[in-house]
Amino acid sequence: MREERLNDAFAALANPTRRAMLAQLALGEASVSELAHPFAMSMPAISRHIKVLERAGLIVQGQRAQYRPCTIDASPLHEIADWTEQYRPIWEERFDQMDGYLENLQRGEPTKNKQTKEKDPKNNE
Amino acid sequence: MSDNATKDVQIERTLSAPVSLVWQMWTVPEHFKAWYGPGGATIPVAEFDLTIGGRRHVCMAMETPNGPMQMWFVGQHNEIAVDERLVYTESMSDEEGNVISPAMMGMPEGHPETTEVQVDLVSVDGGTAMTMTHVGVPADSPGAGGWGMAIDKLEAHLQSLAS
Repeated sequence: MREERLNDAFAALANPTRRAMLAQLALGEASVSELAHPFAMSMPAISRHIKVLERAGLIVQGQRAQYRPCTIDASPLHEIADWTEQYRPIWEERFDQMDGYLENLQRGEPTKNKQTKEKDPKNNE
Repeated sequence: MSDNATKDVQIERTLSAPVSLVWQMWTVPEHFKAWYGPGGATIPVAEFDLTIGGRRHVCMAMETPNGPMQMWFVGQHNEIAVDERLVYTESMSDEEGNVISPAMMGMPEGHPETTEVQVDLVSVDGGTAMTMTHVGVPADSPGAGGWGMAIDKLEAHLQSLAS
C-alpha cells in the first residue's frame, strides 16, 4: 500500500503543470478556477490534473458546494524523502543471496541459482 | 527536510569467503548476476567497465502481475581499489544508458535520481567484513537532478509558511 502511494506521488509530481499547482497551493488554498488561471488549458484537463494530485494524497479538495478549495498535503513527500528505508530490505535480501551463492561456489557445487543459468549460458559449465 | 538529503543505508556483513572472491561478486558480471536480483528478479545484463569513470550498465527483469518488466540502471565507477573499496553511481536509465528520472519510470522507490554505492572490504578471521553504504547524491551536486531538489524546495517553502 505504501509502495502504491509513493508510486502515485511520483507519478503526480512528474508533470510541470501539477508541480506548478502544488507550488501555488503551498501559498494557501485555491479554487479550481484559481488553479486553472495560469494555464492555457481546458477545465476538463485541469480537473484531470487535480484528480491525479488528489489520488496521490498531495492535495485535498473541500466539499463546499461551488467553491471547492484545494489544499496541499505534503505527507507523501516525507515518505519519498525516506527512500533509504525502502532500500534496506532489498540490500539485506541481496546479501542473503550473496552469502548462499558464495557458500555454494566455495563448496564447488554448481550454483543453485537457476535464474542465472537460464539467462547466462556461460554459467553452465 | 534538514539533512535528509545525506541519508544513507549502511549494511555490514561478514561473509565466509576471501576478499578476492567477495570483490568478484561486485565486479564480475556472472557472479553479480547470481545474487543481485531481489525478490525473484533476474539480471539478464550486467556490463562493467572497471576503470575510473567506466560505465556500469545493469538490467533487472521481473514478472509482475501486469506482465514482465525490465528496469535498466546506469552508472560509473568512481573508486576502484581492488579487494578493498569500490564506489559507483547508479541511476535509472533506458536500454541505451540514458538516465531517466525515477518518477518517469513510475517507480515505487522514491530514491534520488542518482545514488552512490560504496563497498568496503576488510579481510577478517574466517572471511571478509563487507560494509555497503548506499547514499543519495546530495541535491546540490551536479549529478543530482529534479526530485531531491524540487522536494527540498517545496518542503522549505512549506516550513517557512508554517512558521
